[in-house]
Amino acid sequence: MATADTMIEVNGLKKHYNRGAIKALDGVDIAITKGEVVVVIGPSGSGKSTFLRCLNLMEEPTEGDINFDGVDITKKKIKNAEGKMVKLDIDKHRQKMGMVFQHFNLFPHMTVLKNMTLAPVELKKMTEAEANEKALKLLDRVGLRDRAEAYPNQLSGGQKQRIAIVRALMMEPEVMLFDEPTSALDPEMVGEVLDVMKELAHSGMTMVVVTHEMGFAREVGTRVVFMDGGRIVEQGTPEEIFGYPSSERLKSFLLKVL
Amino acid sequence: MGDLIKLENFSKIGPFMKLFWQGTAVTVLLSLFTVAIGFILAIVLATMRLSEFRPFAFVGMTKDGKLTDNPTLRAIAKFNPLSFLATAYVEILRSTPVIVQIFIIYYGVFGVISLPKFTFLGFVKFERFFPGIVALGMNSGAYLCEIMRSGIQSIDRGQTEAARSLGLSSFQTLRFIILPQAIKNILPAIANEFVVIIKESAITYTIGVQDIMSAVNSVKSATFTIMEPLLVATAIYFCLCFPTSKLIAYIERRMSRGDRRHND
Ligand SMILES: Nc1ncnc2c1ncn2[C@@H]1O[C@H](COP(=O)(O)OP(=O)(O)O)[C@@H](O)[C@H]1O
Ligand SMILES: [Mg+2]
Repeated sequence: MATADTMIEVNGLKKHYNRGAIKALDGVDIAITKGEVVVVIGPSGSGKSTFLRCLNLMEEPTEGDINFDGVDITKKKIKNAEGKMVKLDIDKHRQKMGMVFQHFNLFPHMTVLKNMTLAPVELKKMTEAEANEKALKLLDRVGLRDRAEAYPNQLSGGQKQRIAIVRALMMEPEVMLFDEPTSALDPEMVGEVLDVMKELAHSGMTMVVVTHEMGFAREVGTRVVFMDGGRIVEQGTPEEIFGYPSSERLKSFLLKVL
Repeated sequence: MGDLIKLENFSKIGPFMKLFWQGTAVTVLLSLFTVAIGFILAIVLATMRLSEFRPFAFVGMTKDGKLTDNPTLRAIAKFNPLSFLATAYVEILRSTPVIVQIFIIYYGVFGVISLPKFTFLGFVKFERFFPGIVALGMNSGAYLCEIMRSGIQSIDRGQTEAARSLGLSSFQTLRFIILPQAIKNILPAIANEFVVIIKESAITYTIGVQDIMSAVNSVKSATFTIMEPLLVATAIYFCLCFPTSKLIAYIERRMSRGDRRHND
């Protein structure tokens, strides 16, 4: 299954809460290839968020492994190039995975520009001047250059989410994770955020997107993954999933959302 | 009432007013030092409580570097001795009377360690003042630690998640994201703690600190009046505390007005 282009490979991933009483993830296997746009759909409580949060270790998996660029990031210690066991630097790996949240999570005490430049400058990825220049370019790309000096609570929901996306892009991640990025938005603002995500997908970014926007899944997804009860029940191309669903659970889910 | 409080008795206090002014200075000094000690101690304690120091993490790891399934070993691996010590300290100090703590510090600790006996500013006895600020500072540190911890934990989890997902370390997240936001909740609470300490410091007269309460005591033994000096003390404490609380409330209001201005 893993090829040279495999970016993330997940094997037997489980996440239990309350000593196993809640099985948020109950054995997930998936391999994600460079440039793929994987859209994750499924009913509420099916484990979609938990899956995303495990990918960048916001949650510590109970079992299973996650290989990212060939490194099993669920290990506390790994062999380095010289074959010595060293502590795994999860912060380093998180820098390569951008994440966008349902509730934006912009830093309210900082301007838009500072929101974007803080991490790359503090993590010595670029100088402040370089970061400012890059931030302004990205703001241009999402049509918000004039809001660089605004504070988050002076922005609309759609603007906040666009900023959250470009803030994550500042770190030049290899993959972007989206957890229901449009669910907290007023309907008239959903489009502007999806447009940014579409553009990002077309630019070749690897993306894992949890969403209820079936139009987006159809149009932009290279693969659709249907989760239920902490497992992947069915996956395939958008045509397969929406046109020829095979499991009863997917059929009844699609009836409800389409 | 006429028997309890006599106007002419107030004139008896006159010669002792100097004791009251000196006592007021001692009370204010005591409170300032206490808050300073408490504040520094609280920062240390809160850092310990929120730290991710896990010296036994290796116990919970299998040979290939994964987390073990054994729940006992997992618990040991998660054990944070710094956090445990800080929590124990806070809980003990908050669950015992201040006067017990003061006596333990004064008679116990500084019974063994002898302090140099000298007077500073002309009327503050160091060997009594010092144990007073140590005991009150230790007590106040426990309360301030809780104020800081709850201020930090009141910040939305999403903030931490966003910061960590960008690759910032837990320390960078605390410094750049959490503390700047938490400080707004924490500062007024710290200022209020100062008012609490002004009142609580009255207890140090029991170890001979010559504060406002001790002035009351001196007048009582010299003139056999009690209500009148107590009323003077009441007036002084009120004049210290009431304007301070009002000032804090005013600054708090102004700070939150700044917030609202950001909103529109
Ligand atoms: N921190 C937690 N503690 C206990 N249960 C949780 C926690 N987080 C998620 N769960 C449970 O795990 C399951 C999956 O949740 P989630 O991944 O958020 O689902 P989805 O995003 O698909 O709606 C749900 O039953 C949820 O209640
Ligand atoms: Mg969810």
